[in-house]
Amino acid sequence: MTSSRLYPSLASRLGSVWYRHFRTYTKDLVSNGFPPFMEPLIFLAGMGLGMARYVPNFVGMSYLQFLATGLVMTSAMFTASFECTFGTFIRLEFDKIYDGMLAAPLSVADVVVGEAIWAGTKGAFFSFAVLVIISAFGIVNFFTALLTPIVGFLTGFLFAAIALLTTAYVKNINHFNFFFTGLLSPMFMFCGTIFPISNLPKSLQIVAEFLPLTHPVRLGRVAVMASGWEFTLLWSLLYMVGVASIILFFAVKKLEKRMVK
Amino acid sequence: MDKNAIEVDRIFKTYADGTAAVNDVSFRIPEGTCFGFLGPNGAGKTTLMKMLYGMVRRDRRDETRVSVFGFDPVCDELAIKHLAGVVPQDNNLDAEMNVSANLFIYSKFYGLPAKEARPRIAELLDFMELKEKSKAKVNDLSGGMKRRLVIARALLNRPRLLILDEPTTGLDPQVRQVIWDKVRSLKKEGATVLLTTHYMEEAYQIADAIIIMDKGTRVIEGAPRELLAKGIESWVMEVLDPETMSMSGEAFSEGSLGPGVRREDGDSRAQFFSDHPEALRVLASRLPSGVTHVRPTNLEDLFLRATGRQLNDIQ
Repeated sequence: MTSSRLYPSLASRLGSVWYRHFRTYTKDLVSNGFPPFMEPLIFLAGMGLGMARYVPNFVGMSYLQFLATGLVMTSAMFTASFECTFGTFIRLEFDKIYDGMLAAPLSVADVVVGEAIWAGTKGAFFSFAVLVIISAFGIVNFFTALLTPIVGFLTGFLFAAIALLTTAYVKNINHFNFFFTGLLSPMFMFCGTIFPISNLPKSLQIVAEFLPLTHPVRLGRVAVMASGWEFTLLWSLLYMVGVASIILFFAVKKLEKRMVK
Repeated sequence: MDKNAIEVDRIFKTYADGTAAVNDVSFRIPEGTCFGFLGPNGAGKTTLMKMLYGMVRRDRRDETRVSVFGFDPVCDELAIKHLAGVVPQDNNLDAEMNVSANLFIYSKFYGLPAKEARPRIAELLDFMELKEKSKAKVNDLSGGMKRRLVIARALLNRPRLLILDEPTTGLDPQVRQVIWDKVRSLKKEGATVLLTTHYMEEAYQIADAIIIMDKGTRVIEGAPRELLAKGIESWVMEVLDPETMSMSGEAFSEGSLGPGVRREDGDSRAQFFSDHPEALRVLASRLPSGVTHVRPTNLEDLFLRATGRQLNDIQ
């Protein structure tokens, strides 16, 4: 007997979990589609009208370009992080969605990995939305930047893994404040989104190299500008895939203990 | 009836906090029958069900053997869940989606192509009498409708095994009758049904065999009618106001009750059990009319006799 005939294949299982989230998300397309386009619009309007005109020449690009290309991946980071902290926690503790799913032929690993793939998809969509806005403003060229959603996917997947592992330990929903204010906010400031990390003191530069947002921003900026490709970016790519996989593995183990008694 | 759908030998479960939820239980369930687990809350019924489909990991012991259609949930959890339909104790429906979307999304978990899923969903909504509600939001459904929807969800993949964890708790009598009817017709089609309940009536109505559990162990097992015949006297007289017995001046202590009459005292009632209704009527005649009630015994009497009358910690 081959196992594929006894129950759905891995691809089918992951796809079905993804489909559940896709249906829930797209049910309210207008209200859910509003933030990814609106947030960068507000940010760029403010920054472009106000601050950026004082800094016309920056590190090989205008400051507005620097900011805009950084924003592409922080947007993916935030959406995946919200999805897999508050979203996952509510499904786990309040709506008991996973209990229902695990009564079907799905394993905890299917449910958790499927969720990370969905968060990656949202990351791709959110980074694409920012790209649409910033290219509509003429800040970047849309047609040379089409690798952006792929980096957006990886960014979403990476932060989904981190968020899922965090959620596995969280017993009280308010504790996510530590995650957002303690980890994501500092990264937003110091991982090369709003100024290059080379402006940081040497010791902090080393720290920044290990922080998970640094690599998506670096890779994303190159993908959006479609220039500046260099061999060291391979390290950023490896970092994202490797760290995401390792953390997701532990997230599955830890969440399994919580879902299966 | 010669093949067993489920065979369990000496299963144990101790939770991380030290609670011994299931303690050395064994049973066999022939294919195509309905098997009921009865017991008070905390008896270990739900834990036992969940161990069969992998939602609870049983204790690792050499003497334990579990087979569900030849599969062990420890290594073939997905194969079992593919063959089984589960109705968990909590409804856990997708509150964000409507009735038919709930079923459609769930059909994807079984890998059903849309072409097969859509007619199956229509058929099930019809079967569970939810056709008019197919576009309704889950949160707008009544408790009975939600329960029927969860049962429909469990039937999507035409299960060979249906696991019902307290299917009718908290529902009104009409809905319970409907659900029992549906379970009976599924059984006729050949499904094996596993049921937990604390309604004696429910077990009597649909189960071919029952196990009464208490504190994680099996207390008695057998066909409901046989258990009644063997496990307890056929008649009971209840005295709803026991004070009238002392006021009547008659003797109601053991020994003065007549042969084959057994007395049992509850908090606010006394019960006299016997196989001879006449003996009970004689006793009743010593008391004013209206304070006694003679009736045939039912599974509830047996259940209380088997599991005791005191409430446990989690009831």
